Amino acid sequence: MASEVVEIEGHIIDSLILAKVMDLILAAGADYRVLDVEIGKTNLDMSRARLEVSTPDADALQSLLDELQVHGANRVITADAELVAADTDGVLPVGFYSTTNLPTSVRIGGRWVEVMQPEMDCGLVYEGFIYDGEGRLTAAPMHRIRIGDLVVVGTEGVRVSPPSRPRGAHPFEFMNSDVSSEKPKALLVRRVAERIRRAKASGAKVLAVCGPAVIHTGAGPSVAALVREGWIDVLFAGNGFATHDLESNVMGTSLGVSVHEGTAAEGGHSNHLRVINEIRRYGSISAAVDAGYIDGGVMYECVRRGVPFVLGGSVRDDGPLPDVYTDVVQAADAMRYLVPGVGVALMLASTLHAIATGNLLPAGVETFCVDINPAVATKLADRGSHQALGIVTDVGLFTSGLVEQLIATA
Amino acid sequence: MTAPLGWGRRYLMCPPRYFRVAYQINPWMVEEVVADAGRAQEQWDNLVATLRAAGAMVEVQPPEEDWPDLVFTANAGIVNGSQFVPARFRHPERQGETAHDVAWFTQAGFDVTELPIGVCQEGAGDALPVGDALVAAYRFRSDAASHAYLSHVTGAAVRSIELVDERFYHLDLTLCPLDSRRAIVAPLGWDRYGCAVMEALIPEPLVLEPEEAMRFCANSVVVGSTVVMPACPPRVGRQLEAWGFDVAVCDVSEFLKAGGGCRCLTLALDVTLGS
Repeated sequence: MASEVVEIEGHIIDSLILAKVMDLILAAGADYRVLDVEIGKTNLDMSRARLEVSTPDADALQSLLDELQVHGANRVITADAELVAADTDGVLPVGFYSTTNLPTSVRIGGRWVEVMQPEMDCGLVYEGFIYDGEGRLTAAPMHRIRIGDLVVVGTEGVRVSPPSRPRGAHPFEFMNSDVSSEKPKALLVRRVAERIRRAKASGAKVLAVCGPAVIHTGAGPSVAALVREGWIDVLFAGNGFATHDLESNVMGTSLGVSVHEGTAAEGGHSNHLRVINEIRRYGSISAAVDAGYIDGGVMYECVRRGVPFVLGGSVRDDGPLPDVYTDVVQAADAMRYLVPGVGVALMLASTLHAIATGNLLPAGVETFCVDINPAVATKLADRGSHQALGIVTDVGLFTSGLVEQLIATA
Repeated sequence: MTAPLGWGRRYLMCPPRYFRVAYQINPWMVEEVVADAGRAQEQWDNLVATLRAAGAMVEVQPPEEDWPDLVFTANAGIVNGSQFVPARFRHPERQGETAHDVAWFTQAGFDVTELPIGVCQEGAGDALPVGDALVAAYRFRSDAASHAYLSHVTGAAVRSIELVDERFYHLDLTLCPLDSRRAIVAPLGWDRYGCAVMEALIPEPLVLEPEEAMRFCANSVVVGSTVVMPACPPRVGRQLEAWGFDVAVCDVSEFLKAGGGCRCLTLALDVTLGS
């Protein structure tokens, strides 16, 4: 997609020029968005309109712009963005442009350069020649900034595209409601399954972010099945989720409670510590799997299928498991490494890891936040992940529904 | 109520001493064609006499040897009361005329307001008052972008019309306002949006057939109730007479070789836009 803003001024309403320009854009197979219109109050007042014109490719855009210019619609000349070299490692220049997770492009060398993987709360770093705009533009968290990095400063020459809403009936209309607690869950599950199928068919990855409640509520086997059958490509979680998954495999309990009977096991409160301890003895989860200590569950399936996972640590972790990143900056970077290519994200009964992941995802990633507590989905949206759809339901029911849709009916 | 035009009693003209078809910048011009200098002068003198007889004052701008098209004063610029907005010509062949036009209007006491560099606008040839509005054309010789500037500097409500037929490269080949309700029009020169705009502006149009338009019928000069025309086919004449106009036909065939008729040879000096 290529787009440019054009401005047109004059008696463009009475002269039908605005109508003509809009007709010409549509007739050319392009599209427009009215950015603003000021309509003159009297016959003598002039009107002014700004339209964002978009075409499938840059050549089509240029010829359309040439045509529109004949009718007085001129490209709004945008100055190049200001680039300032960082002078300290890990520090962005003063006045740096702070990113959103929306598709963003920056005017460099007279061209609009697109940010490769949008991420919120970052700086924008340009690598390449500033006079031709042919280089790469990436969103970089401040800790990754190195002396000499060219960073976009200010908002001049920066363009952010709001998420596009296709015209006509949306094939996935429930996306429009933020949190749904009063919708038929079976229908929601079926539609999420459709989105997962569609993402996989287009070569995109499916990311699952899991909280410990996935195991507590007995959803572990469903998630494990989804991993085993290839429906989940990346897993993010914390020490708690992995621990309880492993505990339930080895001991049959989750935090000491039997996952089969729901009753507290004798001395069960220490079960998870014993499992962590053994895995630390093996050195890693995959070593424990190889040794046969672990023979089922989500982590087991991840190791078996080579599904990459990132376990991010926290100050209240027991152990932790040897695979846990105890440096949170490293954990976030490890997650960042796996995010490109993700098309669908499932946040399953996770609050903190869901928010951490939401911070990293571009707005285009379809995000489903499944939790019994509506506040979790709200939290995600409050932190800028507006694309997230909250589904208020028990994660066990939801995941067994997904298994039914994706595996049982496959 | 039909009221006569509030303008068209005072004109600027430039004698054809150096007039010739020296280049080709419109489909009517053919370089091999030679304009007869003697006949051109005779025809011009006759046009001046006809306009004066109809009650118009004619002022004369000195001709310049290097600028043969200076004779077409309609393109010099736009007059608005005591304001003169000089043209910005599309073709280099005519760009040198502007200095002479500005000099004449300055000595005549007009305030000169220039359009920005880079936008083309060829004077009254592409901008004629219709009622309260200034109808301005674009594509071949004038840029649509000039219209907002025109409105800025003159305060006029501009109606932009796109010309679509290169034979009618200026607006004044397709439009001749007759009075407050009527005009001679050649809609074949306009796009469909332009036609719709004109339809709203002109309650009683005299719509020219293509062959009538090709004879430059719209390139006429109106002095009160007299219409001075390069040609007048019987159908057009009957309609004008039915409306109470007198028709005076002036042979300007030497000038038609360069693509200009009666209107092109004159520039009304008594126009105040919006009045």
